Amino acid sequence: MIDTIIFNDIIHGLFVLILGTAALIITQRSLTSLFNIYAAQSLILAVMAIVLFIEYGTLNLLFIAILTLAVKTIFIPLFLHKVLKRISVKRDLQFMFLSPASSILISAILIFVVYLFFTNIAGDLFADRLILLVGVIGIALALMGMMVIFSRKRVITKTVGYLTMENGVLLFSLFMAEMPFIIEILIVLDLLMIIVLSAVLAFGIDSGMEEFHKKLNRLGIWIED
Amino acid sequence: MNWNMILYTVLNTAFVLLFAPLLVSLIKKVKAMCQGRRGTPLLQTYFQLFKLFKKEIIYSDNSSFIMRISPYLNIAFLLVASIFIPIVFIPAQESGFGNIILFLYLMVCARFFMALSGLDAGSTFGGMGSSREMTIASIIEPTTLMACAAIAFILKTTNIPEMFGTVLDGSILQYPTLFLVPSSLFIILIVETARVPVDNPETHLELTMVHEAMILEQSGPKLALMELSYGIKQLILMALLINILFPWGMATDATAAGILISIASFIVKALILAVVMGVFESFFAKIRFFRLPDFFMIAFFLSFATIVFELLS
Repeated sequence: MIDTIIFNDIIHGLFVLILGTAALIITQRSLTSLFNIYAAQSLILAVMAIVLFIEYGTLNLLFIAILTLAVKTIFIPLFLHKVLKRISVKRDLQFMFLSPASSILISAILIFVVYLFFTNIAGDLFADRLILLVGVIGIALALMGMMVIFSRKRVITKTVGYLTMENGVLLFSLFMAEMPFIIEILIVLDLLMIIVLSAVLAFGIDSGMEEFHKKLNRLGIWIED
Repeated sequence: MNWNMILYTVLNTAFVLLFAPLLVSLIKKVKAMCQGRRGTPLLQTYFQLFKLFKKEIIYSDNSSFIMRISPYLNIAFLLVASIFIPIVFIPAQESGFGNIILFLYLMVCARFFMALSGLDAGSTFGGMGSSREMTIASIIEPTTLMACAAIAFILKTTNIPEMFGTVLDGSILQYPTLFLVPSSLFIILIVETARVPVDNPETHLELTMVHEAMILEQSGPKLALMELSYGIKQLILMALLINILFPWGMATDATAAGILISIASFIVKALILAVVMGVFESFFAKIRFFRLPDFFMIAFFLSFATIVFELLS
């Protein structure tokens, strides 16, 4: 058990850091730092799980922390860096639909809209202000990940967007409900599969989605258009 | 207006005037050392100001009275703004004094006259500098307003001395959301003082310069006033950041010991921040002009997030 005020402060501080990393993921162009930021974000989540473990003493949380640390801060970024070495691109300069500045603006609006939604529509569900904060930040993080997926052109950046979304969901689940540990493991396994598949399948991972479709067309895998 | 207030005004203004040039040269020195040079002596900016004050003033034939009065207006606006930021001690409340919105408007007025004087001489460089400055200003002003709104919202006051007093009384731990503000204030500081990712303060010779282009036509004592007001602007923005984040050591009443301690602690904190700024500047290359909004937007996002955080906690 930690003192409640200090506990709240630590959690708030970690939330601040998570939002900062999310803003950087949206705007960052260099792929190397994109992966490093993702690793940092996962590390913050792991730290948060450990703080929660110390506060509540649920063993599940400790396991989640260890799993996050091992897979998301060490393995996945390492793997992505390895993929990056193979392919020729070092930067993702192309943005579709949104410029970085406008996507940052939109994500600020997203946070506010999620906040309005949670307080007005689902306000009664959240007796605790902290849980409300977690809900807002978690969902907003997932939505921001979604925005990265559609506003970036490179497949490898889209993958990072997907990973960010998953981080948002993990954040949500850390506080919201006691999720069975086995489901957590399954999610992480899914993540690993997606990373490996997107790297192996997308031999054109260095190209944009459109070229990738063309390559699949050539192989006869992609049928429509 | 009581004696306390007069003492405060005199001391604070004197301190700002005396200390501002030192920070300018310290940042230059840190940058030089990062590049492996020895750099100019720490008192160089004082020597330079002294030298400029002894020189004659030359105006372009095309220039009007704007050119002649703008250095005075500029430094006057910034000195009044500097009174709003307590450094030596936190004075008792006076009505109409220390409002953060008025503070922002004073800064904007200074910027406006600087841009006008850049245009006034009719030289190409000056006009370009002013045009760029106003472009940057139109993007950074909403961010600055948002950051100040966030601080005011968290501390429940728009009065700057009262803000410092509130943070000083409680620990920063009482306001965990305040952790978000310094990063946006730091970005604002970098932009307002025309430092590297945005502008390069080192040179008059680059086509991309902003701040230096506007004061290109000034000469002699007028140039010295412009450079001094640049130093003051930098110092008061640094003081705003320092006193919100690390207010420890500030005196709340006008005793000799308290004033000495708060001056000494402020000098230490400001020197550390100046070193940080110098190192930060050395790490970055100048951002392309049209990519600057991305940089500002991060500050905007963080300030906005601060407000939402505060709504939630």
